[in-house]
Amino acid sequence: MTISRRALLAAAAAAGGGLLTACGSNTGRGDGGGSGPALSHWYHQYGEAGTEQAVKRYAAAYTKARVTVQWRPGNYDQQTAAALLTDSGPDVFEVNGPSLDQIQGGQVVDLTGLLDGVEDDYNPVVLTPKRHDGKIWAIPQVIDMQMLYYRKSLLRDAGVEPPTTLDALVDAAKKLTTRKVKGLFLGNDGGAGVLGGTPLYAAGLRLVTDEGTVGFDDPAAARTLGKLHRLHADKSLLLGAPADWSDPSAFIQGLTAMQWTGLWALPQVQKELGDDFGVLPFPADGSTGRPAVPVGAYGAAVSARSRHVDAAEEYVKWLWVDRTDYQEDFALSYGFHIPARLSLAKKAAKLRTGAAADAVRFTTDHGWAQPLLWTPAAQTAYQDALSRIIKDGADPERELRTVVGKVSDELRRVQRKTT
Amino acid sequence: MSARTVEARTTAAAAAARQSPGARAVHRRRALWFWVFVGPFAAGLALFTYVPLLWSVWLSFFDAHNTVTPTHFVGLDNYTAMLSDDAFRDSLLTFALFTAFIVPATYVLSLALALMVNRVRRLRAFFRSVFFLPAACSYVVAALIWKMSIFNGVRFGLANTVLDFFGAEPVAWLSTTDPPWYWLVVVTVRLWLQAGFYMILFLAGLQRIDPVLYEAAAVDGARPGWQVLRHITLPQLRATSVAVVLLLVVNAFQAFDEFYNLLSDARGYPPYARPPLVYLYYTALGQGQNLGLGSAGAVILALIIGVVTVGQARWFGLGRRNADG
Amino acid sequence: MDDALVRAGRALRLVVLIVLAVLFLIPFYLLVRNGLSSEQDITSPEWTLFPSELHWDNVRELFEDPSVPFARSLLNSALIAVATTAGTVLLASLAGYGFARIPYRHADKVFYAVLGTLMVPAAVTFVPSFVLVSTLGWISTLRGLIVPTLFSAFACFVFRQYFLGFPRELEDAAQVDGLGPWRTYWYVVVPNARPVFAAVGTIVFIGAWNSFLWPLVIGQDQSAWTVQVALSSFTTAQVVRLHELFLAAAVSILPLLLVFLCFQRWIVAGVERSGID
Repeated sequence: MTISRRALLAAAAAAGGGLLTACGSNTGRGDGGGSGPALSHWYHQYGEAGTEQAVKRYAAAYTKARVTVQWRPGNYDQQTAAALLTDSGPDVFEVNGPSLDQIQGGQVVDLTGLLDGVEDDYNPVVLTPKRHDGKIWAIPQVIDMQMLYYRKSLLRDAGVEPPTTLDALVDAAKKLTTRKVKGLFLGNDGGAGVLGGTPLYAAGLRLVTDEGTVGFDDPAAARTLGKLHRLHADKSLLLGAPADWSDPSAFIQGLTAMQWTGLWALPQVQKELGDDFGVLPFPADGSTGRPAVPVGAYGAAVSARSRHVDAAEEYVKWLWVDRTDYQEDFALSYGFHIPARLSLAKKAAKLRTGAAADAVRFTTDHGWAQPLLWTPAAQTAYQDALSRIIKDGADPERELRTVVGKVSDELRRVQRKTT
Repeated sequence: MSARTVEARTTAAAAAARQSPGARAVHRRRALWFWVFVGPFAAGLALFTYVPLLWSVWLSFFDAHNTVTPTHFVGLDNYTAMLSDDAFRDSLLTFALFTAFIVPATYVLSLALALMVNRVRRLRAFFRSVFFLPAACSYVVAALIWKMSIFNGVRFGLANTVLDFFGAEPVAWLSTTDPPWYWLVVVTVRLWLQAGFYMILFLAGLQRIDPVLYEAAAVDGARPGWQVLRHITLPQLRATSVAVVLLLVVNAFQAFDEFYNLLSDARGYPPYARPPLVYLYYTALGQGQNLGLGSAGAVILALIIGVVTVGQARWFGLGRRNADG
Repeated sequence: MDDALVRAGRALRLVVLIVLAVLFLIPFYLLVRNGLSSEQDITSPEWTLFPSELHWDNVRELFEDPSVPFARSLLNSALIAVATTAGTVLLASLAGYGFARIPYRHADKVFYAVLGTLMVPAAVTFVPSFVLVSTLGWISTLRGLIVPTLFSAFACFVFRQYFLGFPRELEDAAQVDGLGPWRTYWYVVVPNARPVFAAVGTIVFIGAWNSFLWPLVIGQDQSAWTVQVALSSFTTAQVVRLHELFLAAAVSILPLLLVFLCFQRWIVAGVERSGID
């Protein structure tokens, strides 16, 4: 409890008297179990019921430190970024990164040693972006991935096959669009945000090459992105739904025949639609193309400003390396994620059949994760261009030329720091 | 400012005090009392506004990625980077246009409301309350209603239900760039939230107009309506109008909340209708922790707001003395 | 005939006002309508003005939601808003009086330094402010949530303008009676300046109740959430429950509407006499 009831009353009394300085500084950490140093562990707010209680239960079971869990709504990245600048930030925090600037700025601790002997058990596609300079900066927790959900019955009625090429997807979306139902939902912004680099990977390209240069300086990029504009021009895209792409509501409510959303939506879709749906990766485009699904993992990181770095590392190792039972529970009992550890993913019965099995296969075969060198500045430049291409019909070649220029500068900046 | 004469008097008194014999003791006593009254406030403002402000200015000369205690001095690099960033320039231009539109629109609507409410005989308090009530709403709540209920892009949004009634296709209000329907959403939410507050300012101004003026105008044969409005009411409301326009302009350039709540999503913000503050927010506060660049942009923005405000004040013939002081 | 014209004009004005009033009230209605509907009624393809039935259960559900301490957040907001209002009004009114009445040589300079801060958008000093508060060790404390927000240049400005127009005779009389500035202020000025206190107080209260970013970042534990933070937790979850969101929003503005309606008369009076213009 951060603000105790007593402090509340004291403050109320003080406020009544017009004095405001009476409330004590009670940071009140350590209502978890165990003894030893007090650690604070931050999570972003998960939507699935029970997740919060679960992580609090894990923390309470740890005996070597008193761990307090903080459950943070709102813009989590912004909150952690601000908190890491100070001494009152978290000791341990989950992060959709860490970002290269956070690593280079010395804000997070090297966790390579924690994975001694088990490194190979972590899915390489999500472990790679946590690696920099040969060190590992966060322990992947669970894998999240996104894919295309489609309503079997609606496709059948319209005489449309599940699309396996981008052209087929564009055509299918057009055919499935009626006055009340749209063909495809890629988010309320028309897809620029959620698709990100996925169409580039589907065209056989990538965001950043292994050499650290721009990976989409290629005519194929403009060709593929240009096709996305057709979705918009045909009015096949659902726009302005009350819930965005991350929520399957639009799909379940029948506002759209196909929706791009996360694996986490699977249980809800299954519950509402039964068998009347299927899943697909983002379809390939062009002769060198291949299907693509974006994957990512929140990782557990330790703040370099923590007063108990060693204790924090030990706790992270306990929870996210040693306690495989908790890791399995966290991945599969509440939402629906793929465990980051290959051995757990293989064991999971829930992931062996139906759409879940497809999702696991897509992840292994077609998964791409955002490279560490792809910084927020690069992302903003690319996403702005993609939005203009999709919605305004801007010339993809010209837009991409600008982006390639900006991203090259940014890549040079971050790599200069490395050496 | 109606306060000008009084202000002048105070300063004159101060000047007189300076010259009179034994002025020193008087001075000291006054200074003491002044700081007794103003001191706590000024100290707090210095600590919680000026310190962060100067800190921001200082940051703007450094390469400050993910740090507030940078060591790498870069001179004016952040400023040149910001000024040559077309996304930032775009946002400044967009917001100049937005200001040019929203200021007159809010002005006209709130003045019209005030004139009507002022003249209505029955239910006056009722109407005043209704128009004023939205001012109590937070931007978060207003954005929620606008985005999810009135102007959502699907068939069950209120606006689309109305369109459907007339047989028109549903419109994705916030996502359509051609025509830019999102402006309709942004402008209406701002009008709804703000008009009532400025209406109250105008109502207060109207109350202060001497009825004799209207009687005289009637004797002179001015027809009620436009002529009276133009020759009596508006000139008498000049002071209020100036204050309202100043407040509106400052508010328009500082636009953040409703834009952020209406248009941002988990993945960022679309490249249109992006106010400078929202752009800076993403540069400096989101995952892009480029605090030096963000601070440089903030300084540029604050300078623009300052220049516009002071320029406007001069244009209206206000604060001439202020500018000297 | 002129008479008829005037009457027609009057009727037209009334009609226009009624139409506008309805338009201004629709958003409030939608909040309540959606808040008390079932999820199906909100998203039904055949949208109707009235939901098929009212779900009062939603209210209980909202307050018993295990993942969001909604009642607690209302209490926190009330406490913070009251404390912020009291503190802001106290500090700003003292300063405003000092600026208006005490002929100090550098008063103008100090005053422009205060006014200048109105032009600086709060968002741009956000990170340094946060770091500063954290350096003071005030993260997750009531102090951190309240104290840094107490120094409102706007409130100070309004008070100054009001006191400039305050009749000097009262203070002169008090001085003749031998009261110093301090006691003059408390015994003569304050009791006669209630409207402006009510007006500024209401505006500050609304701002404090509605503020979001600061409480979100400073109040780091669920037990310190304000109602705006709780509200945002309904929208940032991966799955949005519309009826809960709308109902929470409706409940969150209810206290404000009450405060507003009660104090409206004072606000108007305060504005009229303060010469905000």
